[in-house]
Amino acid sequence: MSIDRTIGDALRRAAESPFGLRFIEHDGRMVVVTYRELLAQACVVGGALRAAGYQPGDRVALVVPEVSAFVTAFFGIIAAGLVPVPLCPPAQAGDVATFTRQSTHIIDASRAVAVLTTADVEPLLTTASGSVSPKFHRLDTLLATNTPLAEPTPLPLDAVALLQFTSGSTALPKGVVLSHGNISANVRAILGPSGLDAREGDVAVSWLPLYHDMGLIGMLLSSLYAPADAVLMSPVLFLKRPSAWLDAISTYGGTVSFAPNFAYELCRRRVKSSQLAALDLSRWRVAGCGAEPIRPDTLMQFAEYFAPAGFAASSFLPSYGLAEHALAVTFAHGGLQVDVVDAERLVRESVAMPVAEGGTPVRVVRCGTTFPEHELRIVDEAFATLPERHVGAIVARGPSVMQGYFEQPDATAATLHDGWLLTGDLGYLADGALYVCGRSKDLIIRQGRKYHPPDLEASLADLQGVAISGVVVFGVDRLESADEVVAVVETRAGGRGAEVEDAIRRRVRETAGLEIDRVVLTAPGTIPRTTSGKVRRSETRDRLEAGTLVR
Amino acid sequence: MANPTADRFEHDTIDILVRLSRRPIEPTPEKELMADLGFDSLQILEFVGELEDHFNISVPLNSLTHVRTVGQIVDEVRKLAAAEPGPSA
Repeated sequence: MSIDRTIGDALRRAAESPFGLRFIEHDGRMVVVTYRELLAQACVVGGALRAAGYQPGDRVALVVPEVSAFVTAFFGIIAAGLVPVPLCPPAQAGDVATFTRQSTHIIDASRAVAVLTTADVEPLLTTASGSVSPKFHRLDTLLATNTPLAEPTPLPLDAVALLQFTSGSTALPKGVVLSHGNISANVRAILGPSGLDAREGDVAVSWLPLYHDMGLIGMLLSSLYAPADAVLMSPVLFLKRPSAWLDAISTYGGTVSFAPNFAYELCRRRVKSSQLAALDLSRWRVAGCGAEPIRPDTLMQFAEYFAPAGFAASSFLPSYGLAEHALAVTFAHGGLQVDVVDAERLVRESVAMPVAEGGTPVRVVRCGTTFPEHELRIVDEAFATLPERHVGAIVARGPSVMQGYFEQPDATAATLHDGWLLTGDLGYLADGALYVCGRSKDLIIRQGRKYHPPDLEASLADLQGVAISGVVVFGVDRLESADEVVAVVETRAGGRGAEVEDAIRRRVRETAGLEIDRVVLTAPGTIPRTTSGKVRRSETRDRLEAGTLVR
Repeated sequence: MANPTADRFEHDTIDILVRLSRRPIEPTPEKELMADLGFDSLQILEFVGELEDHFNISVPLNSLTHVRTVGQIVDEVRKLAAAEPGPSA
């Protein structure tokens, strides 16, 4: 069976099946829709967008907090042959400025002709000043129109399907351009025998945000292409009550569900043991884990805690992926498997070798192998392939690799070499399987969100008492526990330590919503710099770790 | 917490904040959840879930979008509890 088709075609095909989607909104309210009904709604919304004059290929930003409405709006844009640009909706409590700033950036950078949103959210965006002036449309208004398309606009497979903006960066969000061919290739890989091995009766259950790749492509679009039933829950509901995720798996017989490491941790911490008796997790055959570093302890503790509810540890499926590869790069079958290696040699020599006598062991999670038609290599700085158990840059090639970053030729050229995608992550191969053991050194990942140190540093530059370009922020990889976020700050004479430290923590919380774990105050001239005066981030980190930073 | 003019809503809200925080905090109505008390977006949702359970209310999406301080949260909870015919109203 070939599933090489556009998203619009996949929706048309799914509409002939008896399957559909069940949404569970943030307040527990349910909305049930068959793919047939969804196709009809999408054609109404799509018809209204075409009637408004937009042409295939135009970008439409999508900011819709409720899951059912988001999905209707998404497929409406797709049916019109337009390119959805999904955005993160406003967070609860006090994050409006960040929301407005990031959304305006993305609307701007994608040169969206329109913003499809709701009555609640629209005022938060129209007040923002951007260099473009897209038209705003509300979903309910579009749904009330009467100019439906007969069917989704036919498009070639190489047409742009989606602009997926990489999360977290406050300064320069980059739009990952994916074609319909990229998405269907990745979905085919995910559903195939080296992926989920999709089968009759599968039910996907997900709380993952639909404005990110793992929720959108991994859960929603995979279910559509299969086609299969899916239960899509509001991420807000999950974060308020993590038990709601497991309740849904139990109630609706969920067989496939993915989540980042922190979600498994949250469940173990916040689902009470008294709730276990009511849960039946025995049908959950694929418990995927990805999107952030996987901690073996988290998964083992989850398996132990939920075993009485029928959860089988063999269901774990560690995975590795990134938006630039549509989503999935590798899947690991056979449950959680770890490689125990010598921590010292891993850090100092970049080799993953058995731990020596008296050495410190570190466990690295097996992330599995890549899919048919896809290739994976570990390379050194000269792009030469490294032998097994040597840590290097993870690069991938194949039909899932993005077209590039939207209108960013320099960033695209720096990321795509000869069809190979430079993932920015570090890892090694052992027995052909990928082990991810580091990442782009400058990226901080917390709870699935990515933070770029240059943005954080820029946000601190004007603080009272901070020396000029005297801030370095980095994450210290603690390998088996959560990363530590450290700020090294040179203070001017007269700057009072406690006040400066407090101001730094406060500013980073306000602008990025990130908690700095450790602030190191030093004298001007302590931070190593290049001859042109740029801070050397990794050298600062290494010296701090080695205890040679402060003289 | 020792504020004699604090009502049940303020008192209980502050209790929940102290319980959920990962470090010792002393919330007062003027303090901001993120900037002063160090709550991240994840903890804020956990907090909203606890408020919903404790006061038997349902916090609408986006109703807290502009809320920054503990006092503003308490006002919002008071309003929602008054509108809800639940046992704690």
